[in-house]
Amino acid sequence: MQTEILDIAVFTTLAALVATVVMLPPGIGLAWVLARHQFRGKAIVETLASLPLVMPPVATGLMLLWLVGRRGPVGRALAPFGIEIVFTPAAVVLAMAIMGLPLLVRTARAGFEQVTKRYEQMAETLGARPWRVFTTVTLPLASRNILAGALLGFTRALGEFGATIVVAGSIPGRTRTLAVGIYTYTETGQDARAASLLAVSVTLAFGAALIANRLARVD
Amino acid sequence: MLRWWATFALVIATVVPLPAQRPEVLVSAAASLADVMGTIARIYEMRTGTRVVVNTGASNTLARQIAAGAAVDLFISADEAQMGTIREEVVANTTVDLLSNQLAVVVPADRPRTLRSARELTDAAFRRIAIGDPAAVPAGVYAKAHLQQLGIWPAVSGKIVPTASVRLALAAVENGAADAAIVYRTDLNAAHRASLALAIPLAEGPRIIYPAAVIRSGRNREGATRLLAWLRGTEAAGIFKGAGFIPLGQ
Repeated sequence: MQTEILDIAVFTTLAALVATVVMLPPGIGLAWVLARHQFRGKAIVETLASLPLVMPPVATGLMLLWLVGRRGPVGRALAPFGIEIVFTPAAVVLAMAIMGLPLLVRTARAGFEQVTKRYEQMAETLGARPWRVFTTVTLPLASRNILAGALLGFTRALGEFGATIVVAGSIPGRTRTLAVGIYTYTETGQDARAASLLAVSVTLAFGAALIANRLARVD
Repeated sequence: MLRWWATFALVIATVVPLPAQRPEVLVSAAASLADVMGTIARIYEMRTGTRVVVNTGASNTLARQIAAGAAVDLFISADEAQMGTIREEVVANTTVDLLSNQLAVVVPADRPRTLRSARELTDAAFRRIAIGDPAAVPAGVYAKAHLQQLGIWPAVSGKIVPTASVRLALAAVENGAADAAIVYRTDLNAAHRASLALAIPLAEGPRIIYPAAVIRSGRNREGATRLLAWLRGTEAAGIFKGAGFIPLGQ
C-alpha cells in the first residue's frame, strides 16, 4: 500500500510539474499580449482564457475528450503518427495544463502590467531588439508574478480531478492521480488508502499554496 | 533560449506516449468494481500472461469516453442504461449480463437494528434516509424503484437525502448524519461503522445488472473476448462472490 501511495504522489507531482512547464510558454505569451496590446476581439480572447476557471471541470474534460478523442479533430490528426492521448499520462498533463493556464495568465498579466514602460523604451533607445527587450527587461521585472502564477497553476494542476477523470481515466500506475485516487478509493470503500492520499494531498497543496501566496504578495 | 527549448522538447518526449508494445486488454469498469477488478487483473495475468489494464470511473463517464472513440477493449457498466447509450460502439452479440448485486438497508453500527422489510423505513425513528441521487446514481435509481414498488415512496420521500454516489450514502450513515441508507450489499464489505439491517431479497428487489461487452474501437478484440469468457468462468465467479457480487455465469 505504501509504495502505491508513494507512486501516486510522485506521479501526480511530476505530471503537475510537466503541466506547469507546458503551460508556461503559451501562458506567458498570452499574458503579455493581453497586458500590452489592444486589438479587436480582445475581450473574447480574455474570456476564452478564463473559461476553464469558471466552467465545471467535467465540462472542460468532455470538451478535451471531444477534441483529442480518436474521432475528434486533434485525435484524428495525431492518429497517423500512432499517438493517442486519451488514457495516457499525456492526457493527465493536458487536463492539468488547461486547468492551470487561467491562473498563470491572470497572475502573469498583472505582473506585465506593473512593468514600467519607460524601462523598455530605454532599452529600445539603447538599440535592443524587441525580443531582447522582452527577455532582458520585461520578463525579469515580471518574473515574480510569473513564478507566483506558475505556482498557482501548479497547485491547481495538483488537485485537478474533473477534467482528468474524463480524458485520462483512473488507471493505476498509468493515469491515477491524487484526486482521482481519492475518488476511486472512496468509491470502493478503501478508506485507509483514501485517507493516506488525502494527507499527501493536503501537505503538497499547503506547501505550494503557501509559497505562491508569499510570491504574489506585493511588498 | 535554445537550452530552454531543448528542455521543453525533452519533457514533451517523456510524456507523449509511444504505441503500446505488448498486447494488453484495456477494461473500463464501473467504480464499484475497482477493487475486485484489480484482483481479477492480477490473477488473469498470472494464469494467461495477458496484461489487463483497468480504468475505473462512474459508468456514465466511461460511456462518454467510449463514445469519443477511446480504445477500450471491454466495458463493464454498473447499469444497463449506460451500456444502452453506447449500443453502436459494441461488437454485435457480445453483451452479457456479467454480475448482479443486491440492495441492502444499513444503519449506524452504534444503533443496530434488524428490519423485516424496507416498509419499516416509514418508522419515525428514521428521520433521514440517504440514497444515491435517484436522478443520476444507479444505486439511487434502484433504491427509489424499490420504495415505489413497496408503495412507501410518498411516505418517505420527505426524509430522503440524495447523495452524489452510493458511497456517500453509506458515509452519511457511518458518520451519523443519516439514520439509514439504501446501498449495495457489496458496499458493506469495507464499512466499519455501519451494520446491515436488511438485505433486500433478490426476488423482491429491483433487477440489478452489471452488463459487459466487447467494444469495437478496442485494439485487442480477441483478448477482450477471451477475458470476457474467463470472467464468466468458475474461477472469476469465486473472486466476484468473495467481493459480495452475484456472478451470473454462462
